[in-house]
Amino acid sequence: MVITTVDLEADLIERTRVNLNKVEKIKTLSKKEIEFKENSDKWSALECIAHLNLYADFYNPVIKKSIENSNTKPNEKFKSGMIGNYFVKTIEPKKKLNKMKTPKDKDPSNLSFDLNQIEKFISQQKEFLEFIELSKNIDLTKTKTAISLTKLFKMRLGDTFRFLVAHNERHLMQAENAIKVYNQ
Amino acid sequence: MNENQLLIETIESNNLWEKEIEISRNEYLKVKGSIDTNLYFVKNGSLRIFIVDEYEEHTIRFGYKDNLIVSLDSFLNEKPSDFYIQALKKSTIKVMSKTSFFDLLNSSNKFHSCWPKLVEQLILQQIEREKDILTSSPIERYKRVLKRSPQLFQEIPNKHIANYLRMTPETLSRIKKS
Repeated sequence: MVITTVDLEADLIERTRVNLNKVEKIKTLSKKEIEFKENSDKWSALECIAHLNLYADFYNPVIKKSIENSNTKPNEKFKSGMIGNYFVKTIEPKKKLNKMKTPKDKDPSNLSFDLNQIEKFISQQKEFLEFIELSKNIDLTKTKTAISLTKLFKMRLGDTFRFLVAHNERHLMQAENAIKVYNQ
Repeated sequence: MNENQLLIETIESNNLWEKEIEISRNEYLKVKGSIDTNLYFVKNGSLRIFIVDEYEEHTIRFGYKDNLIVSLDSFLNEKPSDFYIQALKKSTIKVMSKTSFFDLLNSSNKFHSCWPKLVEQLILQQIEREKDILTSSPIERYKRVLKRSPQLFQEIPNKHIANYLRMTPETLSRIKKS
């Protein structure tokens, strides 16, 4: 996949705005709704958000470092990597949300969280928007970031951005579903 | 009738708004980095425009009922803007693109002459705002803004006015009482 950097950034920014708005909406709900679990295997809306925060805890510093250490020049085009694009496509939510396995260290269901997770998500998204801004000075294809799954592979920064936005979309859809079930 | 009112009434009576959107409290109309050249009219509700600096938010402008708001930098230069626009309560916003707005301005001499007037008003407002920021006494900053926009204090929560005035909410309530 090849896309102009300007289009890629605009798309990531707009989708991040939509994700932020979903969480702002969740923030207005009652504690009961936010913490409701359909059964012990399913996540509550709060757990979905906490899961996303665990990812941002890993990725935000990684992205920051990769931008700071990049000696590249801005490029008008972004070319997605084969593996990177595969990860992005896999994580994108289908219309009817498909189940996926969660790595143990990113599983929120055995931990306890408070409602501060919501504020944390919002501020980490604002940080993400800063990274998009900072990345305008470098090449999104040539700059690589570590990934959480394996140390054997480094992902193109543009793909890491796409992955995180799609991952947010996936779990916010899941969070909305959890709230829907509560209100049924 | 001033230029603002003339334009808004013309847009209203000719149904030139392209859409009407509802946003809930705290939702974002715009986030940092996007190019937003739309003209927004607040039918009801209220919004704030802010920038984030080192994770601290600085409110730079408000919009409430019957105000026009834009991400002014993007609107003028059609480039990405750092501004966030966020609803402070549930708001209904009417939207018009920059292109349609300029089509209207170019449609007659009467409207065409509105644009320099509008820009003039905007520049004067920006100068007032610059003076606010350069005013070192918090009380004086409060007085300036109260005099200029008394309605602001009816429409906007204290917390956000305090941020706009570059003081803590506690300082603002102390000043208001004195």
